[in-house]
Amino acid sequence: MRKVYLIFLVAFQLSCFSQNKQVLYNFTSIPQSSLVNPGADVSYKFYFGIPVLSGVSANLGSSSFSAYDLFANNGVDFNDKVRNIINNSSNKDKTQVNQQLEIFSGGFRVGGRESQSYISFGAYQEFDFIMYFPKDIAILAVDGNQKYIGKTFDLSDLNLRAEVLSVFHVGYHRKLSEKLVLGGRAKIYSSGANATSTHNSGFIFTGESANTPNLYNQVISSNLELKTSGLSKFTKDEYEGSIPNDIAHNTFFNGSLGLGIDAGITYYIKENLQFTASIIDLGFIRQSKDIETLNYKGIYNYKGANPNFLGSNKPEDVFDEFDKAIPRDTLYNKYTTWRPTKLYSSIQYSFGESRSDEECNCKGSVTRKYVNGIGGQLFAMTMPNEPYVALTAFYRRSIFEKLDFKATYTIDPYSNKNIGLGLSGTLGKLNMYLLVDNVLEYRDVSKANSLAFQFGFNFVFHDSED
Amino acid sequence: MKSNFISRISKILLLVFLFSSCSSNLDFDQVKDFKLTPVFVANLAYFNVPATQLINDGDAQIIYDVSEFNAFKDKFFRDNLMKAELDFEVENTIIRSFTLDIVLLDVEDQVLETDSYKVPAYSGTSNVIKFPTEVFENQRLDLLKKTAKLGFIVRMDGGPPLDANSKGSLKLRSGATVYMEIE
Repeated sequence: MRKVYLIFLVAFQLSCFSQNKQVLYNFTSIPQSSLVNPGADVSYKFYFGIPVLSGVSANLGSSSFSAYDLFANNGVDFNDKVRNIINNSSNKDKTQVNQQLEIFSGGFRVGGRESQSYISFGAYQEFDFIMYFPKDIAILAVDGNQKYIGKTFDLSDLNLRAEVLSVFHVGYHRKLSEKLVLGGRAKIYSSGANATSTHNSGFIFTGESANTPNLYNQVISSNLELKTSGLSKFTKDEYEGSIPNDIAHNTFFNGSLGLGIDAGITYYIKENLQFTASIIDLGFIRQSKDIETLNYKGIYNYKGANPNFLGSNKPEDVFDEFDKAIPRDTLYNKYTTWRPTKLYSSIQYSFGESRSDEECNCKGSVTRKYVNGIGGQLFAMTMPNEPYVALTAFYRRSIFEKLDFKATYTIDPYSNKNIGLGLSGTLGKLNMYLLVDNVLEYRDVSKANSLAFQFGFNFVFHDSED
Repeated sequence: MKSNFISRISKILLLVFLFSSCSSNLDFDQVKDFKLTPVFVANLAYFNVPATQLINDGDAQIIYDVSEFNAFKDKFFRDNLMKAELDFEVENTIIRSFTLDIVLLDVEDQVLETDSYKVPAYSGTSNVIKFPTEVFENQRLDLLKKTAKLGFIVRMDGGPPLDANSKGSLKLRSGATVYMEIE
């Protein structure tokens, strides 16, 4: 039970599976690999995913602390642990969650038996969350300003983005020649809820010098903005309903709409040397449903009460002054959010020819199949601050005709020893896959900074199985 | 039936995960110990009364004013304030001595507490007085939390007359240090 609790905690509290799907990428025996490269060299007569179970993935990660740092049963005072985490974190540290669930998916070959054109389609639900560690604000909350006279607490540390959306997509890929596969995918996004607060600035300052009217020089300069869509009705007093149900309903049926594309390529430089690249989620969402933007903009210089002894003044109210200096503004303008765009690329060298189990090659063309592949992958993703970049080395092997294995070693902002393992096997027409990231961390999940897994079931039909 | 099948499969997968992994012994009850204890400093009140505002033929004189002070209207602040300290600093460059009374008043203008500070007359040398810190804890803190207004009474003792050409001023600077405990 404790572990279940922990998994949920890791998922919700620390959470950061980056969105890098380095194990899935170019793992072409899994049809879902065309979701990370629409130009992947995937072939089938047709396939369909088992609804809701064809693609389940979750990534969580926190670059600065783990559950162990916070909850270890080691006699250290909890408040000291919190303080240590704050001290050891920087405002570049982030907590990320990405979760995807395929609702349905399928694909089929178009044209005759000789055709190498494929259409795939599907819908999935996605949850995205990223928050940078608001270090200065955390220090202010834990320590106050007394020990930090002269320090400027930076409000730009407040930086977060969250979105629940559903994605409907149709993709097409075609093997133009033995050397070249091109593919693209069009997507319609439907966003059920979005919260974006990524362009904040301002500071809180307390100074002390001899020649000021009062003891301290206290300034709050605020330029804060929180944009939300699909959320404002939940904050109203009169709201009576189920937030998860309403968000789910909006996500699929009444969301803010957006458009996006994926594109990808596979190119065989030589028969055993393969290059691939893809760009995923190049798109936007026009946030237009139930939108509300909150602004706190202004400068407030707090001096304290100031009696003037002239007998004519109205009693002043410092809080009214604050509200006047930094008013809360609510706007109802539509806004556009850009999807986190992902970029993948890989190069793979294959060796070790396999003996095919197939008795005859029905297609008539001779394609050699290699047992081993090694290579490297690059992943980059747009983020509110600086892009996220990861480098992967991988090895893949066909263990049997219908059992493929891939191992990855990834260096990313969360870890420099992220080992991933993936298995994809076919039993009859049922394709099953399980991909796990950061396997070393499973030795003690409580100390993990990031965890990711992905699994799914598909029915895949090939010509030879007719 | 179908959702049953799905939930069974996902349970099995989840269990495979959980049993193939390990976890250190964690103690989530520690969250109950979580306590924030920030200490904030803030300005309290200030004034700068020039001698020319106190034109006087040598008799004692009283001036006063009342300021709104609504920090304690905020329930969160009231509930989590454990201790407060007030520091007063007066600089007097007027050739008269003063007594400064700081009066804490509640919403109905009832006096909760009066603190008096003696300020000597200016005699040509530096005349900045930092008064001992007023510490508010327990019952005294409870009274402070009822404060809605601050009264300032400046009593000028008798002495040399002041006219439109008199130099100097009486300056107050003050700050509060608040010790919060948020659980």
